[in-house]
Amino acid sequence: MIWPFVAPAAAWLALLFVPLILLYFLKLKRPVQSIPSLALWRQVMNDQRVNSPFQRFKRNFLLLLQILVLACLVLAAMQPYWGTGALRSKYLPILIDCSASMGALDKPGGTSRLEVAKAEAKKIIDNLLSDQLVSLIIVNSTGRRLTDFTNNKRLLSNALDHVAVSDVPSRLDDSLRLAQALSRTYPIERALFLTDGNTPSNVDLELPFQVTLQLIPPGGANIGITELNARRGAERWDVFVRLEGAKVGGGAAKVEFYQDAELLGTEQVSLDPQESQRLSFRASAERPSQISVRILPDGFDSLASDNVAYLELPILRPLRAYVDPELADFRKALQPLKGVEVLPTPGSTKPKLVTGYDLVVTEAVGETVPQAAVSLTVGQVPPELSKLVKVEKDFVKVVDWQRNSAFLRHVQLADVQMSENPVSAVGIEDRDYEQHAYEILAHAARGPLILHKDRDGRQAFWLLFHTSRSTLPYRVGFPILVSNLMQIAMQQAGLAEVRSQATGVLPPRAADPTMTYTIVSPDGLRQEITTTNEGLLSGISAPRVGKYEILKGLSTVTKTSASLLTASETSLQAVENIQFREISIGANETRLKTDKPLWAEFAIAGMLFLVLEWWYFQRRPGGW
Amino acid sequence: MSTASNATRFTALFDNSILSRLERLRLNSLRRLTVRSRGEHQTGKGGTSTEFADYRDYVPGDDVKNVDWNIFSRLNRPYIKLYRHEEEMHVVLLIDASTSMQFEGKLQLAKQLAGACGLMGLMNSERVSVYACHHLGKSPELLPPCTGRVSLRRLFRFIEEIQAGGDTPLEAAVDVLLRQHRGRGVVVLLSDFLTLGDINPALNSLFSAGLEIHAVQILSEPELHPELTGDIRLVDSETGETLDISGAAELFNIYQDQLAWQEMQLTADCQKRSGRFMRVSTSTPLDSILFDAFRRKGWIR
Repeated sequence: MIWPFVAPAAAWLALLFVPLILLYFLKLKRPVQSIPSLALWRQVMNDQRVNSPFQRFKRNFLLLLQILVLACLVLAAMQPYWGTGALRSKYLPILIDCSASMGALDKPGGTSRLEVAKAEAKKIIDNLLSDQLVSLIIVNSTGRRLTDFTNNKRLLSNALDHVAVSDVPSRLDDSLRLAQALSRTYPIERALFLTDGNTPSNVDLELPFQVTLQLIPPGGANIGITELNARRGAERWDVFVRLEGAKVGGGAAKVEFYQDAELLGTEQVSLDPQESQRLSFRASAERPSQISVRILPDGFDSLASDNVAYLELPILRPLRAYVDPELADFRKALQPLKGVEVLPTPGSTKPKLVTGYDLVVTEAVGETVPQAAVSLTVGQVPPELSKLVKVEKDFVKVVDWQRNSAFLRHVQLADVQMSENPVSAVGIEDRDYEQHAYEILAHAARGPLILHKDRDGRQAFWLLFHTSRSTLPYRVGFPILVSNLMQIAMQQAGLAEVRSQATGVLPPRAADPTMTYTIVSPDGLRQEITTTNEGLLSGISAPRVGKYEILKGLSTVTKTSASLLTASETSLQAVENIQFREISIGANETRLKTDKPLWAEFAIAGMLFLVLEWWYFQRRPGGW
Repeated sequence: MSTASNATRFTALFDNSILSRLERLRLNSLRRLTVRSRGEHQTGKGGTSTEFADYRDYVPGDDVKNVDWNIFSRLNRPYIKLYRHEEEMHVVLLIDASTSMQFEGKLQLAKQLAGACGLMGLMNSERVSVYACHHLGKSPELLPPCTGRVSLRRLFRFIEEIQAGGDTPLEAAVDVLLRQHRGRGVVVLLSDFLTLGDINPALNSLFSAGLEIHAVQILSEPELHPELTGDIRLVDSETGETLDISGAAELFNIYQDQLAWQEMQLTADCQKRSGRFMRVSTSTPLDSILFDAFRRKGWIR
């Protein structure tokens, strides 16, 4: 049997009844009053007993009140609670969804989903029993613990007050891993997840505790921008916008397209629930500009953060590709492609530049080799892998390759032969290459043929054989491979397609090495980030939709932007359950019942009894 | 209030002024409860006094000296003149001198009222006897029946010397009284009537003995309006028994009801036996009781 007391050991305090009663009767030294005769008083007492069956009880009313006061105090010390049979855990992590959809309103001027979730969490905190500890964890695109396990209601309430909506999609992995890590320290039996249900339905995680999925009712009708990108056109950018309606309601809206401050056009759209519509327009490519798309809903729109999206458009220019003059086959393959400027031009006497290229194809290694976001090194072994692989003179064929790789897409390597045979050292396996951040794109019989390294935003491809000593340039796959390389470089340089930056973390960008930059967010918050030795500015947090300004000192270096652009957040669709690795957690929309502590009520009752006793003791004679 | 010094006062019970006023008053009994011996108490027709009362027809055997010859000469029929009896009335004073009467001057008031009644009896040539009851089972202090003004000093001295003490209940005192008393008249019961027993048998005995009951209940102010609060232990002054009461204040109303019920019950008991009952407080001045309450109620005239 489970007693509805947090501290049943305090029942020992009931032993105080014994001294209380003893002291009462010992203390009850009645003043002696001599009277002529007891005759009348005996009749009075008889009359009193007859008239009131409670007189025996009233005779020791003070004692009764004292017993009631002590009983209330003992019960309060035992900390009783009104058990509902639900959510009775000593350590309870409360995960609060703070993703963009939690900012949705239920009606015009209504409350956001996050406010409802905070009210639920506040109720749990207010009803927290003294032996229960709560840790608040916010869930957005990542997870962050706000408080350690504590029963300090003020601390928890303060932390709860500072929880705000982030304009990012929700991801459960990080926050659940955080709770999972906590479970190694604390015996967590159950976690509570307060969400509107707009979360991934699958989480590849095995949890050692139960998760109670408490659904907050979703918001109302909504229309939002879920995609915004631009493709390279003929001297212009073709901009594409996708609008989607929420699951429960779409609506009509006017869409405005701006290039910087210039209004390019407007369009009226009307969407049914879960319907999407694609809009396109053209934008000038003569100068770097910012495209902004705004939705002006005709009626109620529950989510505002998806009503605006930004896109940074660069100026259209040819891809600058540096190809070693000795690699004639690559130069021949690149030159016919449109929008590519192959450098150095034949007969050029200009000194070779180290930077300023979008693509570098070389057969050399070292610091004198030009740098670019995308590079292909031919016939060389990466210096850090020199101990792992040796190139032997031997004929070899490609055994297998990654056909879904962007570099080898539609490239047939089955019949390619090469006279250089990369051989892995004894005991070296694929994971040893992966430990050096290299991915093997093509295998020979005894070692890797093609390697790929993606680090700090730079894509480096390595052909461990020289193409001039292989049949690759004579195969159909070679121009395709070169074209793939160009497309990768175009993408990396933002010359083929430009996508709007999603909120969360902005992509790394090149800057001065070891320099501290200040990033001003749309809501005025500032964060300072120091670039790496390689001059990479990374890890820029962008939790808000809007424009971000990057400052170097007091001067503006560049401006960028972030947009929500998440169909799942715009749809406001709630999952019915979340599938974990082993179990499925069903959502529950009914209001969560929690145990209600009753010690305060008993303490108040004890106080009232004490006041009543004082009044009864002090009241005037004949008052009743 | 004393208007004369102790040296000039006839008795310590009350002032001479009250004494002189009492001399002109007499006890007024409701019924003819007198003894046949001659006295000054005129009780009814057919007596031998000089005070005419009525006529009746002559019947053979009547003393002819009582025939009214004037009427006979006019009507030619004989009529007998009737005169009021002048008979001696017995006044019995029963003073409850138990311990309960020593509170708040109750015994003193009882002695004063007894002295007053005795004075009125003696001044009207009635036989007066006084009983003071103390201890249960013991004979009461007794002033044998006495008459005449000459017995005044003896009466007052007896009454003045009565001391409180003892535990005899009133009903027991009445039994003792009736064992010793002979004669009809008026019995004046001076007590607080705070007895645990039944007073009715005693009243019946008094009524059967031909004594008209004049009961005076003497209570002190604390008994009429007790001011008790909290938890107290009451001790009976006569028996030493105790009674613990809690929340005495809330019993106040019940006590008052009980007091009123007792007064009503005693009044009814006395009236059923052609008697009278009166409750007096020790806080009431003596002259108010004697010359106001007694006279208004017709106890004295």
